[in-house]
Formats: sequence, C-alpha cells, structure tokens
Amino acid sequence: MSESQIPVTVLTGYLGAGKTTLLNRILSENHGRKFAVVINEFGELGVDNDLVVDADEEVFEMNNGCICCTVRGDLIRIIGGLMKRKGRFDGIIVETTGLADPAPVAQTFFVDEDVKRATKLDAIVTVVDAKHLPARLKDSSEAQEQIAFADIIVLNKMDLVSAEEADEVERLIKQINPYAEIRRSTKSDVPLESVIGRDAFNLQRILEKEPDFLSGEDHHEHDSEVNSVSFEVSKPIDAEKFNAWISNLLQSKGQDLLRTKGILYYAGDNRRFAFQAVHMIADGDYIGEVKEGDPRKSKIVFIGRDLNRPQLRRGFEACQVEA
Amino acid sequence: MAEVAEADFLLATRGRAEELGAWVVGAVFDARDRLAFALADGTLHPAGMQGDWATVAAHDGAVLSACGDMQDGWLTGGDDGKLVRTAPDGATQVIADYKGKWIDHVAAHETGLRAAGVGKAVHVLGPGGPLKTLTHPSSVGGIVFDAKGKRIAASHYNGASLWFVGAKEDKPRVLEWKGSHHAIAFSPDGTHVVTAMQEPSLHGWRLTDGQHMRMSGYPGKTRSLAFTSKGRWLATSGAESVVLWPFFGGGPMGKAPTELAGGDQVLCSAVACHPQHEVVAAGFGDGLVLIAEVASGKVVPVAPPSGSPVSALAWSPNGALLAFGTEAGHAGLIDLAKR
Repeated sequence: MSESQIPVTVLTGYLGAGKTTLLNRILSENHGRKFAVVINEFGELGVDNDLVVDADEEVFEMNNGCICCTVRGDLIRIIGGLMKRKGRFDGIIVETTGLADPAPVAQTFFVDEDVKRATKLDAIVTVVDAKHLPARLKDSSEAQEQIAFADIIVLNKMDLVSAEEADEVERLIKQINPYAEIRRSTKSDVPLESVIGRDAFNLQRILEKEPDFLSGEDHHEHDSEVNSVSFEVSKPIDAEKFNAWISNLLQSKGQDLLRTKGILYYAGDNRRFAFQAVHMIADGDYIGEVKEGDPRKSKIVFIGRDLNRPQLRRGFEACQVEA
Repeated sequence: MAEVAEADFLLATRGRAEELGAWVVGAVFDARDRLAFALADGTLHPAGMQGDWATVAAHDGAVLSACGDMQDGWLTGGDDGKLVRTAPDGATQVIADYKGKWIDHVAAHETGLRAAGVGKAVHVLGPGGPLKTLTHPSSVGGIVFDAKGKRIAASHYNGASLWFVGAKEDKPRVLEWKGSHHAIAFSPDGTHVVTAMQEPSLHGWRLTDGQHMRMSGYPGKTRSLAFTSKGRWLATSGAESVVLWPFFGGGPMGKAPTELAGGDQVLCSAVACHPQHEVVAAGFGDGLVLIAEVASGKVVPVAPPSGSPVSALAWSPNGALLAFGTEAGHAGLIDLAKR
C-alpha cells in the first residue's frame, strides 16, 4: 500500500445511536488532524467542520453480472474531487444514514480503481444504542449488517442499561461478529485513537484475535440470522485449489456472505497472503514475510447468513496441499 | 518512448512549462485561443508563450471543472458552489452561487449558453442569468452541448438525457443503458452520443434510430474522450495506447479500434483532438505527452514523463497551441505554428 493513500473511516449506526455525536467529538477534539467529512444530506444534527460534503447515498449496481455488487456512486465522485485537494486534510470520514446497508460503501473501496489508488479503508465504526440494539437486531437486517461489517463497535448509551443488559448486548454482538472491537461509552465518549487511525481493516490484527467460543464447534442458540464461523488448517494452502473454491463459493453464496477474511500460507511461498471479500467482491495482497516461529496456520473467517459450517470447513480443508 | 532524448521533445524547442503547485483540473482555451490553467487550489492561471503567468484567485476551495466561457474568458465551477467567469484581463465575476454544493461539471457555448452540473441538476444560464434547471434521476456524470448549442446531453446512472435547450417544455429524450455513466461526448455532426462508464467500457447511441454501441476492452476507466474534427474517429483514454473507434463505414459496430502510441505499459490518461486535422494529442499516466497522426500512426513526442499523470490536455481552437497539465501541477504550453 502506498504511503500517500488517505485513510477513510466509515461511520455507521442507527438513527439516534449517537453517530453524529461521535463525529462531532472526533472533529472538535484538539488533535491537530484535519478531516474531510462526507455526510448524508438529511443528517439529523449539524456538523461543524471546514470541509463537509453532502452525499446522496446513490447506490449503483455494477454491470458485471453480479447482483450484489453495488457501489456508492456519489462516494466515487466525491473522493475523486477530494483527491484533487490532497494535503488539505489527513483523513476522510464517511457517515452513512441509519438505514444504510454498509456493503456498497465497503465495496466501493474494493471495486473502484481510482478510490483504491487514492484511499485505504481504515475502519468501519458502528455506533449502537445499548438500550435499543436487541430490539433493532430482531426487526432489521440493516442493524445486523452494520454489526457484521464493523471493525469497531461503539456500544453507546451505557448509562441507560444495567450491567446485565450490557453483557447481554455484548453477547448478541459477538454472536454476529466476534472480531469487532467493542468500546463501551456514554454520549459516544470514546478516545479518538480508538476509532481513528486504527488500520482496523488490516486483516492481520483482526485474525490474530481468536474469540474463545469459536474454537471447536459451537452450539449457541442464535438470536439473529447473521453469525460467523472460522476455520484454521495447519498444512500449506494450494493457491489454485483455494482460488477455485473461493471463487465458486463467492459466486454461489456471495449474497449471504457479508464479510470473508483470511490469512493464507501458500505452499512454497515464504509470504503471508491476506484475503478479504465483501459479498462477491474479493481482494487480496501479500502482507509480508513469514516470521521465525510462526506456526503457519492458515485461517479463514466468514460472517454471514445461513452459514453451512461442515460444508465450509470441508471446503477450506480441501484447499490444503496433499501430504 | 524511453529512448527519446530530452531535446527531441517539442516542449524543449517550442514550449514552456511551469510548476503551478496543485492538481491541474483544466487546460482551457477560450474561443480566441487564450489559455488558462485551472487548479485544484482554486486558482486560475492565464498563460501565454510570452510574459509571466498570472494567478487569479477564482474559488475558495478547489476548481472541479473548467471550460472556455461563451465568447471569451474562462468559466469554472468550484467546490465552493460558485460558478465563476474570469475575463481575459483576470477580472472575476460570480455568475451563480449554489450555496456550497459542488459544481462537478461546467460547459459553455458561444451562442450565449452556460451550464453547471450540480448533483442531479443541470442549471442552464444565458448571458442575462438563469434560464432553466434540468433535473435527472441521479447525479450527473458529465455534460456537453452539441456543436450548434441547440441540445445539451447529461450522463447519469442508467443512461444519459438529451434536452433541447430552447424547448418550452422540458422533457428529455432518455438514452437508456444500465450502469453508471460519466464522461460524455457529442459527435460533431450531432448524430451520436457516447459515454464512458464505471465498468470500464464506453456506450454509444446513434440518435437517428437509437442503435446501441458498446465499446469495451479497456484495462482502466476512460476519463477522456473526444471526436476528431470531422467526427470520423473517437479518441479515448483508459488503455495503454490511444484507442480510436471508427465512426465511418458502418463502425464502430463490428470494427476493431485503431491503437496509437502504445507499448510503454502506461495508461493513457487524457486525449484531445486537433480542431482541424485528424491528429490526436495524448497524455499518459507517467506524464508523457505526445501527438499522433491518425492516418499514418506517426508519433511526435511533446513532453517527457514528469512522473505524474496528465490530468488536462487541450488544443487552442486555431490548432496552433497545445497545453497540458498534470496531477502534480506541472503545466506546459507548446507553440506548433509554422515558423
């Protein structure tokens, strides 16, 4: 990744969860950094910043025969405009509306060549209301998706819930997305450095974090349709087999697979390969040499709906080289 | 082009260049062959072969688009929401203020028309002020007047809209094609409209019968497209060569495009067609600028690679001057008049 890529933070969350409060905190804190802010035209609160751009949230389908491949057309246009003024700001914050599906935003950073060249997705930060999240998760697929896509979840309005309620909300969140970092807050008062400049889209960090309850088969009752599975294998991966398997899987199940992330050790290669996908859109890159003492275990994580654990496990295991 | 000596580039013998310090959004000639560079720091730089290049503070923000104004001077749209005319003497005048909304596109016609693309709206203005506002189903990706200034075409999501500027009732002819359309061009005779898409490919419509034309195979997005003066060829950026589609002999349907000046594995980032001859100027991702004659394929080097993509490129209406600018703010002007 080039040094000159501008980090982008995507802020999602339901109306009234405290998203704009968080945004204004980020902007008003005395950190010496300048942000360009892309907000929705119909945002509920005013945003105080020099460089605020109104967005229309225009979601465009790509003509590549893949129905879930959607991008934010307005974002492509706005980032193109902002890039001409490089040097006037250190980062971009994109706020989405409460009801927005985060996939098109994330996919924009994978699909558009200009956006890819100019920016890097730093983190998807989802602000949730601790009191109302359980109800939201029951009645809205967007709420589930916003949790599923998050790298960082700000669990806000902690003053309105009991300790037991708070733990229960965390449990619900972890069931959907055990890889997100959860930050409890009241009035979105989280330290700036916990949400900005995290490089949380950096897969390595996400995947090194192994949630305890994911080891072995889980027998949880699932309260929501979105959940996650992860698998680890110790033999090297056959690149050709993996590519064939994963492309076929994303093609056929991509609509249900919200996020896929993996760290792979290919046979005969001394580098680690980071793989990630949003629905059907996949991307990958080498992320450096294998270090001394690295157990070289390849790992893959799926966050999505109707995940067929045994089938996915068999599929991934079959990507290992023959012994 | 790697083996070409510095002295062989026309810039060294017939041109001049300066570092302007910000992304060159437009190299714009007015109808009387006067040049100005429009920059992303909001400045405009009227520039000639002789004398110092002036600096005009036109916008508080970035210039997002620029064109020659109606009869003379330059017209710019900024992210400050202002549509600004700069006269040849450098005097600026705010023509319209869209209250902080980005003006992504501007166009003007010598018959006395200006247009500004702001989000989904295209505002059409005359010398006396606003004439009408044309509304589209989604944000406008590009706007262009036809050669006579009778019609304006605007690209958007799922196609383009064609409007008669003088119509009493504004109802567009919608040219449909699924996907997101950006840069747009009208053929000089007004019979074809072509857009560049997100995909990356081009889509064209023959207006007489609505015939669709798909032009694909680009490794990168086409940002720049232009018809040669008589409309026989459509020159495009987005490939490792200048790709020209034939608009004669039944083409471009079923015809392969002609490729010029390829071989450096660098994407072409800008094209500009000579106003009289079948000659195309092209800028590349490494800053190289060249001129190619379509018929012979002969290539003349203009400016050596400066390391930054060519973001602006234009011929003067009389065909004697060629101007270019890069994302890094390197701007040049070459005098090609017979000596």
